[in-house]
Amino acid sequence: MLGGTALVGFAAPASAAPKRGGVVHIAQVPDVIPSGLFGQNFPNGAIGGLIYNTLTAYDHRTLAPRPQLAKSWDAAADGTAVTLQLRSDVKFHSGRPFTSDDVVFCIKNLQDPARGSQLRSTASVVSDLSTAGPGEVKLRLAHPVSNLFDLFELMFIVDRESLPDMLSGKNLIGTGAFTWKQWNPGDSLTLARNPAYWKPNRPYLDGVELRIIPQTQALLAALQAQQIQLALGLAPKDVVGLHGNSAFETAVGDTHDAAFYVGSNVNVKPLDRREVRQAISFAIDRERILKDVFSGLGAAQSVPWPQSSPAYDAGDARRYHFDPERAKQLLKSSGNEKFETSLAINSGLAPASAIAQIVEFNLQQVGITTTTVSFDAAQFIKRLAGGDLPGLWVNVHGFGQMHPATLVVSAFPFNAAKNASNFHDPRYTAAVNEAWTATNDRAQRAAYRKVTGVLLEEQFVADCVLTSGTYAGVPAFRDFSYNMYDYLNFDDATLS
Amino acid sequence: MVLYALRRIPSALVVLFIASVAIFAVLHLAPGDPAVVLAGPDADAVTIAAITHQLGLDRPLPVQYAIWLGGVLTGRLGQSYVLGAPIASLIGRGLGNTAQLTGGAVLLAVALGFAAGTIGATTRSRVVRTAVVAFTTIGFAVPTFISGVVLVLVFAVWLRVLPPGGHASLATDPLGGLRFLLLPALCLALPAAAVIARFLQTSLKTVLDEEYIRTARAKGLPAARTLLRHALPNALPPVVTVLGIQIGQLLGGAVIVEAIFAWPGLGQLILQSFVSRDYLMVQDLILLAVTVFVVVQTLTDLAHAALDPRIRLG
Repeated sequence: MLGGTALVGFAAPASAAPKRGGVVHIAQVPDVIPSGLFGQNFPNGAIGGLIYNTLTAYDHRTLAPRPQLAKSWDAAADGTAVTLQLRSDVKFHSGRPFTSDDVVFCIKNLQDPARGSQLRSTASVVSDLSTAGPGEVKLRLAHPVSNLFDLFELMFIVDRESLPDMLSGKNLIGTGAFTWKQWNPGDSLTLARNPAYWKPNRPYLDGVELRIIPQTQALLAALQAQQIQLALGLAPKDVVGLHGNSAFETAVGDTHDAAFYVGSNVNVKPLDRREVRQAISFAIDRERILKDVFSGLGAAQSVPWPQSSPAYDAGDARRYHFDPERAKQLLKSSGNEKFETSLAINSGLAPASAIAQIVEFNLQQVGITTTTVSFDAAQFIKRLAGGDLPGLWVNVHGFGQMHPATLVVSAFPFNAAKNASNFHDPRYTAAVNEAWTATNDRAQRAAYRKVTGVLLEEQFVADCVLTSGTYAGVPAFRDFSYNMYDYLNFDDATLS
Repeated sequence: MVLYALRRIPSALVVLFIASVAIFAVLHLAPGDPAVVLAGPDADAVTIAAITHQLGLDRPLPVQYAIWLGGVLTGRLGQSYVLGAPIASLIGRGLGNTAQLTGGAVLLAVALGFAAGTIGATTRSRVVRTAVVAFTTIGFAVPTFISGVVLVLVFAVWLRVLPPGGHASLATDPLGGLRFLLLPALCLALPAAAVIARFLQTSLKTVLDEEYIRTARAKGLPAARTLLRHALPNALPPVVTVLGIQIGQLLGGAVIVEAIFAWPGLGQLILQSFVSRDYLMVQDLILLAVTVFVVVQTLTDLAHAALDPRIRLG
């Protein structure tokens, strides 16, 4: 297998010969936003995986990078340089050969703040790029980093000659298995098979037809009517509802890339008190949130790392469990037995309201009265980015599934320099820097322990439930996969 | 008449100018902006500032207003901040799709409403009359977000005779387009059909009790001819008035139906654009709606003036 490292969805029996041809009809709720492909924010990254390739792809269990467009790599002993050897048989959809200049362009592109990439901090560590022929590129780093391969996992290799066309959605040119054919915003996207794909005899499918269905109920109906063969991001309760129905197959991703949490603005009294934040964390019934809101699809835990993460520790994950008595004791010892605060939610985030109801009830049981304030997405994000949310809030973050340094340098809730909670602590800053710059396993694990230690102690972000994307489809559609950021891969997918 | 028109048009232009200022101001005063939406929930201040600059949102508001208005007046609507695509083509496509949906709904509402209203007013069967009452009551009382789901369940999921949602162009694929159109148009048409049926039934009953109808019957005119030639035309005026109001409501109701049936119309476009604070797109869409309204009002005033000299001389 040429570098495919993702989990396989709806796997066919090993003996079944792959069937060539057919156009698969898939659907998702959010619209395709081409300019958002650099930002790792919009769920359309999933579709990007069909048009573009990345340099490497992680093994989901070990996070070991496997070759994609980069066939091999060497790192300098001091961790300040990496040399990539690139495949020589790759062409863009325009017919132009893929070369080292394209890698240079893509990294510089992500360094531009206007691209909105959350990997910008990691891309910006690359202080110098040089090429030695079309097949080799050397990256010099300002300092060693532990998460460089997260950049290679997430960075789409785009055609540098057609960037304006990409940003306007006119034409997206990559090296991936499918070519951009027609996009009707808010309605549909048509992709056609790339006949010159670099993986021999791939893809099997003739094309992909994506439909945008803004309502999850309508998405479910489209699948039940077999109008589509794969629904991306169905609500957990709908996925569970399909269990046992032989007409459909369901899968929950193994990335655990969506962590729902309760955040605290530490500038708001008494949330400035560590004991109060710890009490809130003990008061939250995470298991109930998992069961009632996510139909049990996920993991209730108090750390942002999934089990596959090198920073994961089972004891840490269970540190904050539902313990109202402990919460009351902590509130009493902090001198805040009863108080009122607000609980902000993003009305555009589907599970936020249901989580807030449970949290509100839980907090009431220990003496904290909350008033739920609903903001629309634009208002919520603006206040979040400005550290202006007036108390507690419910939100989701990603990146826990990648190398731990990426979470603490790229995800705003955890950023040591400026975060949504207005939390600053030299210990945390030092631990984050250590986790980011440590290059050997032992040093990294020690740094991750420190980061997790501060997070658990300070609880400015109280992680509650880790979930993954859902995939529901018909048995006829098989062997698709996705990377650690849910970029779809239909290289081996078949439709019978 | 020309003088009246010359007097009337400047006031329409003033209304449009005030509306453009109000639309711009209200949108820019609303909390949140497209840069933070594009940057996403995990973005830092540097990223948001860079995107703000790229979109030109860091310029003074009067400058942004002037650029926008200049673009509108010269026919350059610009590109969507979020989707990146040209706004003119997005609005054109959305407008066409919404027109298709509401057009189909109007036809269905008229057909169903007239059939139910006529049957309800003329039948002597209690069962049929009860069925008509049930149809009009349910059609009027059940909101579209429920009737839509029920229609999808019955016709798309259980019977699988129609698609549960989506869209195909009537121009390139007429049959496919009609299949996609039928369920959302029916969903949108049901409340309007119920209202039309109620009004027609009441109006028709009144007309059927008139003496000239009795005379027609006494002279031996066939029932169908009496109904179609004499009763129905005289029962129509109040129904036509209601139909006009219903068409306006159909346009408003299309927002919900478009969401249920994944119909890529103007309602969805406005909703998504506002949620993501896609200023240019929302400004253009609202200004378009205001312009249509002002033009229609002005034409109506001119028509009234043409018909009644006292207005233009007053």
